[in-house]
Amino acid sequence: MSKSKRLNSMMQVDFRRMFTTSRLPIFLLIALMMPILILTMTTMVSGTEVANPQTGVVTTMEAFTNTWQIIGSESGAGMMAMDMTTMCNINLIFFMAGVFVCLFVADDFRSGYAKNLFTVRARKMDYVISKTVSGFFAGALMLIVFFFGAIIGGAAAGLPFTLGAAGVFSLIMCMIAKIFLMLVFVAIAVLVSCFGKNRSWLSILLFAFAGMLLFMMIPMMTPLNAGIMNVMMCLVGGALFAAGLGAGSNALLTRQDLI
Amino acid sequence: MNAIEIRGLSKRFGSKQAVDGLHMTVPEGAIYGFIGEDGSGKSTTEKMICGLLHPTSGSISLYGKDHNDDEIRSHIGVLIEAPGCVPDCSVWNNMMIQAANLEIKDPEQEIAKVLKTVRMEGAASNKFKNCSLGMKQHIGIAMALLGNPRLLVLDEPINGLDADGMRIMREVLTDITKQGCTVLISSHILGELEKIATHYGIIRHGRMIREMTAEELEADCPTYIALRTGEGSKIKLLLKGRYGRVEEEEDGTIRIYDDVKPEDVVAWLYEKGVTVSEIWTAKIGLEEYYIDLMGGKKQ
Repeated sequence: MSKSKRLNSMMQVDFRRMFTTSRLPIFLLIALMMPILILTMTTMVSGTEVANPQTGVVTTMEAFTNTWQIIGSESGAGMMAMDMTTMCNINLIFFMAGVFVCLFVADDFRSGYAKNLFTVRARKMDYVISKTVSGFFAGALMLIVFFFGAIIGGAAAGLPFTLGAAGVFSLIMCMIAKIFLMLVFVAIAVLVSCFGKNRSWLSILLFAFAGMLLFMMIPMMTPLNAGIMNVMMCLVGGALFAAGLGAGSNALLTRQDLI
Repeated sequence: MNAIEIRGLSKRFGSKQAVDGLHMTVPEGAIYGFIGEDGSGKSTTEKMICGLLHPTSGSISLYGKDHNDDEIRSHIGVLIEAPGCVPDCSVWNNMMIQAANLEIKDPEQEIAKVLKTVRMEGAASNKFKNCSLGMKQHIGIAMALLGNPRLLVLDEPINGLDADGMRIMREVLTDITKQGCTVLISSHILGELEKIATHYGIIRHGRMIREMTAEELEADCPTYIALRTGEGSKIKLLLKGRYGRVEEEEDGTIRIYDDVKPEDVVAWLYEKGVTVSEIWTAKIGLEEYYIDLMGGKKQ
């Protein structure tokens, strides 16, 4: 059996599992609802003045002034300004996708599926690649669903859809760059899941630590005014991370006891 | 050729030595009953055979090849602890998943066949999590049978099965060995195991203490005369004076292991004024043999 055929059959299994269980639809629903709720609710409280009961300092609640703000910022400064609009945006999906992968892999070990699989398949790399590809697909899907959720949320909140200096092309490039960057986060999630195995809490905790370190680079790598260069950088970075971390995941599975 | 050949296998978990220099040989086509107390290393050995645990030292070969060989591993069917099924998926979908793992060309037909073999064709659409313990065991066997495995590794497969379920399991295992499959089965239900096993391996503290064929077990298990008189220990003393090995069971049954005829025992006791209410000949079974070997009630 050739490697491509083996991989193909394993990915079929993972995709079948993703679409025959309720987890992916639930995550997609959350990804859809998230921007709708964020945009409508922040618009509702926008301009409200809140006084700190201890210090008496009055702060004005700021909200999104443009729908595409939830997809990215033109400056790419992102995390440098720690306000609502830079924290509650599409970049949360990178964490969601990581959690999804951690739960997906933990299920394999908890249910005994990994036991059945590794009994008949000695090579662990197939498993790592299959999990990375299926996780990447799920993450990309969540990003796309979030994008459409943002459009619905923006319309519901009555926010403008003007793109300013960044045109439609840049918006598409921004989304494609984010999709490629997803590969980095999925590869990290696969690695920590191969370590955590059925202990999903451990995998998620490790992913949160690792993801937090890389979270700042998302707005910088994928600004709203992204171009081909951003896409290429995310693609190459994603591929390198996936290959390197994939080799790490393979080594973990090959050297450790599997159950 | 031997289906499984294990030499000097050891496995250590921290300070605990789970398997300690185990040697084991399972001939091709055998139903190998793997017996031992809880924690004796049976499951650990089976997991190492299946490549799920890495041995600390020693070697495992399957059909003459290293147990990590990809080709040979695709011919193993396994049911260890519980069937590896996704709880939220239907039985059919779970079978489809494993069929894809095994790259079976015509999965629908193959799945229908194995479900029919274990009489579970009616459960195909049930969600796995809604199946009873016995059903799950049958489904686990069906899953292990997918792809016509050359080697079946089963850990306590008859736990949770009712009498009919056990009968089905016996039939299935006997049938597949006729087709050339080798079965390694561990179980605490020795009475059931004795009905099907052709070979035995008894493990204790991670070491193989006895390996034998069913014929060797048969030869090792003595025939005895059992009798009841209602006079218990007094009769035992009387019989001990005449026969070599006489034992009394907890329920008062007396056993005579000497090669004598029941009618001679009855006649002799009658002469001594003892009336025998019941007498029969029997043979020591696997369970008693095992208890004896483990230093149980019969030393």
